[in-house]
Amino acid sequence: MTDDASKLGRDQEKLLVQRAQAGDRPALRQLVDFHKDRLFAFIWRMVRDHHEAEDICQEAFLKAFGSLDTFSSEYRFSTWLFTIGYRVCLNRMRRKKIFAGEVDVSTAASPVTSGAAQTAESDEAGRVRDVVWSAVDRLSPPQRATILLFYRNDFGCHEIARVLQLPVATVKSHLHRARAKLKELLEGAWDGQSQELRNFSQRAG
Amino acid sequence: MGRAVPGTSQFFATCGVERAEGRPGGLAGIDVTAMRCEEAQQLFDAYLDGELSPSLTAELDAHRLQCAECRRALAILEVTGHVLGSDHEPVMLEADFTDRLLACVERPRLGRWQQVRRLAFLGGSLAAAAVIGMAFLGVFDRGKQSKVAGEKVERVLQAPASPAVQQDSPSAEDLKAAEQAIDEWIEKMRTSLEVKRQSGESLQKALDLTILQVLDILEELNDPSSLHLPGADEAAPFLPIKPPPVDDEDVDDL
Repeated sequence: MTDDASKLGRDQEKLLVQRAQAGDRPALRQLVDFHKDRLFAFIWRMVRDHHEAEDICQEAFLKAFGSLDTFSSEYRFSTWLFTIGYRVCLNRMRRKKIFAGEVDVSTAASPVTSGAAQTAESDEAGRVRDVVWSAVDRLSPPQRATILLFYRNDFGCHEIARVLQLPVATVKSHLHRARAKLKELLEGAWDGQSQELRNFSQRAG
Repeated sequence: MGRAVPGTSQFFATCGVERAEGRPGGLAGIDVTAMRCEEAQQLFDAYLDGELSPSLTAELDAHRLQCAECRRALAILEVTGHVLGSDHEPVMLEADFTDRLLACVERPRLGRWQQVRRLAFLGGSLAAAAVIGMAFLGVFDRGKQSKVAGEKVERVLQAPASPAVQQDSPSAEDLKAAEQAIDEWIEKMRTSLEVKRQSGESLQKALDLTILQVLDILEELNDPSSLHLPGADEAAPFLPIKPPPVDDEDVDDL
């Protein structure tokens, strides 16, 4: 993924954070602009609700700015921000679970893909995409977070461990179990219905 | 993805298997020339992450060509990784998200130059208040009262003596008058000193209070957490600033 955040070098990020710590508003704006899309995408994939994801994203930024003086520059700001975002996500999911029973994001309505994206991909590729994301939605929150951070944010296991505040070995275990579960779910989809998935995987293989 | 590729020995160590003696790239108890499916599946994660040594990669590739089941399993995982890594996000944040977020940060902290200006303003105000206070309390008139009283005594003492006095010793009346004048002078000096002492104490207290206020302001200016964030002060029973490690099982329950 190539976006603004990936272009932000570590030194540049450190400088921005220092300026933000000194109360520089343009620096705060730059930090938001650099990280908001990736953070929002991650949170939306976790909660699958646009308004809630935006709300969590805002809360994560506000909490980060509110305790910016506790930020240690030995870590990346993005790692710290994602840690806060993930914690807020978990809290919201816990509240939902308390007030509305079990949370199953796999039943959340998929957003309508933009016209450009729809025309750019075939029906076959679109169905494969839907099957894969449906399977991801059925993973447990830590497994889903691990998979998303690993594949979509290019985080390594150590960085994911910091975000999820888990031992690296547990993160590796999550990654392994998530892959096994995805394979199982996709094999089910494969056997059940889709010739197109078979074709797609044969091309990929 | 730019991840570190560990050596074969490191991989074996993480897998918990020992490297076969004298067989580079081989696994103890595993005949790599005819890798079984279970053995191949153990290497899937490292294979997909590019962490497998070239020799083991070649062995797994060879197995994959011969085994339809492993080929299919790897293909599914590769398709999944491809979709997850390259798919476009179907949702985007509202365009004015940043503006709305920064609007929530109500009171921006002052920049360095603004802090210096504010301090200079406070220092100037403090100095002006001190000068006005001292003038009001008469600190600059020091010695005036004692000078007036001293002149009175001097006048009494230097007053021309009566003829009787000039001839003999001072009369009792003159001495009494001089004594009275001295007592008055001492009393006035005492009163004056008491007034000044009380005034000085009041001024000291006022200055102490002002200095404490300035110190509070300085502390506030240097405290990053003074940035007021709506919601930041809210009780957050679920989310401490430095969240403790989460119980894995607890999260899995969600």
